[in-house]
Amino acid sequence: MPHQSTILAFCCTWCAYPAADLAGTARMDYPAELRIIRVMCSGMVHPDLVLTALEKGAAGVMVLGCRPGGCHYRDGNTITLARMEMVEELMEDFGFDRRRLFVGWCSAAEPDRFADMVRRMSARLERLQGAGEEN
Amino acid sequence: MAFRIAAQWLHSCAGCEMAILDTGSRLLSLLDGIELVHMPLLVDNKYHAPDRPPEEADIPPADLGLVSGGVANREQLELLQAMRRRCSFLVGLGTCASHGGIPAMINSWPLAEGLAATYENIESGTPPAAGSIPAPLDRVYAVDEKVNIDLLLPGCPPDPEQIHQVLTTLAAGTRPPARTGSVCDRCPTRRHSMADRPQVRRFVEAAAFDPDRPVAAMPCLLEQGLLCMGPVTAGGCEHHGAPACIGARAPCRGCYGPVAGQGNQMVAMMNILASHGLDFRSVVDRRAMLRFAGAHGLLRPVKPK
Repeated sequence: MPHQSTILAFCCTWCAYPAADLAGTARMDYPAELRIIRVMCSGMVHPDLVLTALEKGAAGVMVLGCRPGGCHYRDGNTITLARMEMVEELMEDFGFDRRRLFVGWCSAAEPDRFADMVRRMSARLERLQGAGEEN
Repeated sequence: MAFRIAAQWLHSCAGCEMAILDTGSRLLSLLDGIELVHMPLLVDNKYHAPDRPPEEADIPPADLGLVSGGVANREQLELLQAMRRRCSFLVGLGTCASHGGIPAMINSWPLAEGLAATYENIESGTPPAAGSIPAPLDRVYAVDEKVNIDLLLPGCPPDPEQIHQVLTTLAAGTRPPARTGSVCDRCPTRRHSMADRPQVRRFVEAAAFDPDRPVAAMPCLLEQGLLCMGPVTAGGCEHHGAPACIGARAPCRGCYGPVAGQGNQMVAMMNILASHGLDFRSVVDRRAMLRFAGAHGLLRPVKPK
């Protein structure tokens, strides 16, 4: 089934991005609608970035970082979690279904987990689209 | 030849004009070098006859135009466009002009709902007949959403110091210096840590401070748990060495709009609360954080679930 939607993923440079890299070199399958932006830490993803991505037409946004306790900067991903919980709440103000945001963790050695999260997000967005919940 | 100034108010409360007056005695010396060619508040020059369409507004040509207020209806839009045509340098004066201001809070509701709610709450109880007032636009706009603006001077009202500086530098043929930084950047209060403040409380009881000691001795109001918009609000309101509201021992309400031109004060402030570990759910009405900057599509009706 052809579809035009885009998932924007903010991946941290220490875990999620290497996992994506590994998923690529291991030739794992995951949805082609993913676009990755590499950031130093998932905790630096400002809520404005998430909301702007959705405003500009991304079907969904993923913020992916190190597993809890495994953050390169010790507590970057706890800040990610605090911020993204708040963004989920704000999304309603902006008219977006909160399921369009996915926050997840994986280690650098878990390409399968990375690919699985992208597949889950893609399926979730397809269901949202199917239910006619356009924005 | 005198420096010609035209001033037009749109969706405005005259507070910005009061701020011009507040430049005080310096205004008198300024008046020697300028000529006010158009200012409905002071000069009645029949620029706009009620039986003529507003696009025929007869505004005299000027070197500098000052528009205060946002744009909410056809008449204001056409007056704004006339000002743009007639003025070689156009300044948006005040937060209504630069970011929508208080009138833009109506953008939180669909137009029909906003009008109905407004008129049902007044004595006469009926909306004005069609054609008796200018047709409203779909929402309240900032002036830079509708025409090119050369300089935005936010503030509710803008600081008289700045108004004076802008008028004198422009009359002298130079550009006023750009303003940078947030209210916090210019705030002298003592900052320590927000770590032990899990909740944000409303400003219904006074902040803790010693009235005999200067503002610099007062602990940061945000750290006291008061919702102070300082971190996400453009600075420039200082009086006697402290931002105006902080100097009055009250938290910043955000009247200068976002620090960066197109920022969203609500998102930025919620981000600050969340990333410092405060309970963002303890904010009672977060959309009110956009009370001064709801134009540019930032405040909009929430779709019912």
